[in-house]
Amino acid sequence: MRKLIVLASGFLLLALALAGWMNSRQPQALAVIPSMTGQPEYCLTCHADLPEISSSHPLKIFGCVLCHGGERLALDADLAHSSMRGGKNPSDLAVVEQSCGGGKCHSGTATDNLDHIQRVMTSIQSTYAGAIANIRFTFGAQPDLTARFSIQVVTDNQVTTKTGLPSLKAFNPAQEANPLIQKFGQECLTCHINATPRDGMQFARLTGCAACHTPALNSFAKGQVHHLTTVISYSQCNTCHNRGNYDLRSMSFVERSDQLTDRLHDYYQPIAQFTRCEYTLDCVDCHTRSEAMGDGDLHSSKKDIQYIQCKTCHGTLTELPQTHTITEADRLAFKLAFLNPVVQLKVGDTVLLTEKGEPLWNTRVLADGTYEMIGKVTNQKFNFRPVKGTTCKQKVDQQGSQYCHQCHSVQR
Amino acid sequence: MRPNFFHHIHPPSIPARQSRWRYTLGAGGTAVFLVLVLIITGSLEMFYYIPTTREAATSIQTIAYLVPFGGFVRNLHFWAAQLLVVVCAVHLVRVVFTGAYAAPRRFNYLLGLALFVLAILLDFTGYVLRWDTGIHWALVVGTNLLKTIPLLGNTLYVLLIGGQPAAVLEPALSQATLTRFYAWHLVGLMLPAAFLMGWHAFRVRRDGGIALPPASLRTDNQRITRFELVRREVLAMLLSASALILISIFAPAPIGAPIKEIANLSGEARAPWFFLWVQQMLKWGDPFVWGILVPLIVLAVLALIPYVFPKPAENELGRWFPKSNRLAQVVLALIALLVIALTLFGSLAAS
Repeated sequence: MRKLIVLASGFLLLALALAGWMNSRQPQALAVIPSMTGQPEYCLTCHADLPEISSSHPLKIFGCVLCHGGERLALDADLAHSSMRGGKNPSDLAVVEQSCGGGKCHSGTATDNLDHIQRVMTSIQSTYAGAIANIRFTFGAQPDLTARFSIQVVTDNQVTTKTGLPSLKAFNPAQEANPLIQKFGQECLTCHINATPRDGMQFARLTGCAACHTPALNSFAKGQVHHLTTVISYSQCNTCHNRGNYDLRSMSFVERSDQLTDRLHDYYQPIAQFTRCEYTLDCVDCHTRSEAMGDGDLHSSKKDIQYIQCKTCHGTLTELPQTHTITEADRLAFKLAFLNPVVQLKVGDTVLLTEKGEPLWNTRVLADGTYEMIGKVTNQKFNFRPVKGTTCKQKVDQQGSQYCHQCHSVQR
Repeated sequence: MRPNFFHHIHPPSIPARQSRWRYTLGAGGTAVFLVLVLIITGSLEMFYYIPTTREAATSIQTIAYLVPFGGFVRNLHFWAAQLLVVVCAVHLVRVVFTGAYAAPRRFNYLLGLALFVLAILLDFTGYVLRWDTGIHWALVVGTNLLKTIPLLGNTLYVLLIGGQPAAVLEPALSQATLTRFYAWHLVGLMLPAAFLMGWHAFRVRRDGGIALPPASLRTDNQRITRFELVRREVLAMLLSASALILISIFAPAPIGAPIKEIANLSGEARAPWFFLWVQQMLKWGDPFVWGILVPLIVLAVLALIPYVFPKPAENELGRWFPKSNRLAQVVLALIALLVIALTLFGSLAAS
């Protein structure tokens, strides 16, 4: 009996030693206490190698949980990830209000320029209202091109523009009488920013804010997804745009078949006409935030929201483009220049102005009467002249890009 | 050798035949050991556990992941509690299958049955203290069962669970509920359990120790000393402690994300394993009948075994399967088989 007790004691000690050894093998818990929440979170225990998502969202201030959710104390992967918002992508529109919104961040009023989420939710990139309205009109399901449907039901309490709509119903292809509209619903709803993209690296992007602000080019292949930026290259826009055409007879998407070689050949499809500036610049160099992310109103077509034209920077035969001298009141311009510091914007700088009165903060009016634009993505300097005083044959009432393309399009 | 304190709480000697493993299964002693483990590990958990709806689940995450050896202590507490229910059941089966409940031990049988019920209720209240998605469904269903009791239901609910079932003053299953469960677990059930344990042990001695035939009918008069008895108990304790530690190392106690909104049922629709048999019966119809009445009838049948069933014969005491109380053995076996079968069905249906 005594021998048995000694043996059992040894066994117990062994079990205890095993418990101690297993405990010592646990990873050293790594805490961060972000100043915005003041609560410790232990995500870094496993995710220490993850780069900070952007300089605007420093880890020490935001931490991980504020945006991603999840169980901040759990060191077990399953439990820690169980309550995360939007899986790997908290900016997905289904959860963006909780992740990126909140009173202090990207959900607020237009006057304090914090209405990002409201603008994106109503923007044509999310509603896809233009495409839906066009198809329904084309196949006789509605008498005009005014949008009635959106990807999701959406309302706008403050209509501020002439083409703004108060609300859109959710588009339900199953309720459509025409089989082609039904097929459109099945085949063609992969481009709105909350849609799961088509298969293939050329379509690879995330959803929600990250559809545009998380660069896919080269980085997805390397597994680098934890990145948010306002430096949005044309290649990011091209995960949806310029990737092919809809064949209305078969109601299917026909991917472009040419090989993507360089910027000149990759930017637009072979059938497209474009000028030199349209492929040397990036989309975001000309198209403003309200064009890209919406102006807060629900529109029926992208034509309702696009206002940047060639003449915005080049003027017409009779008028120079509008200019503006930066003052301290131009807070938004300073903020945008701060977020993407390709230029040092200073009070007193004279820049070009859009039709809506927004300073194009990455442009300069030079002393010799020419202009300069600094590429927001490429950091390249582009020098250009006004149309006035040249031999350009444009007519004052013909300012659409197709008229400029008649003389200025690039051959490739 | 002069008997020390631990020797003195045992009888000077006990019959050799009835002190063998194969007779007692060591169930009663193991139950006492598990209760000691539960008190120690539970006290340690109290250093970190916060019984508020906001912080209960996160404080358990703190224990499980961040406190040095916290996860280990929590696993010990969890597994000791589950084993306690099993060991109590084994003890009950042993007592009935050996006819050991025969007078004068009838009342002590009832005390033991009450302790078994308390062990299950302690397990359930401890389970609810997690206040995470893993217990959400069982909490709502389990507490709603109380409301189905005619006349008394709502009063009992407010008394035991807290909150207003009609959500007039305070929503049902709120902080009041967690506070109640915390109080039940630590005091309301623990104190009676501790008291009944003492009484149960006292009655074992008062009723003449382990059951065996009267002196005139005994065939074997060999006895072992309290020294030998304590050595055997130490050995049992060392072995169960080692087993408990090994289980706790390799099988972590369940844990889940905090309950966000009590009104929105989250997590899996599954009762804790010891109530799976009740969950399975609830599928058959009226919740009061299957969820409360039938389990109470089962309990009543168990309680009546020493009083209305054919009594074990004196000469057959102290050994397994006496012929004289066959009916009690068959009834208990049927109940046990039904409960085990329903539990297995329940776990298969849920998984």
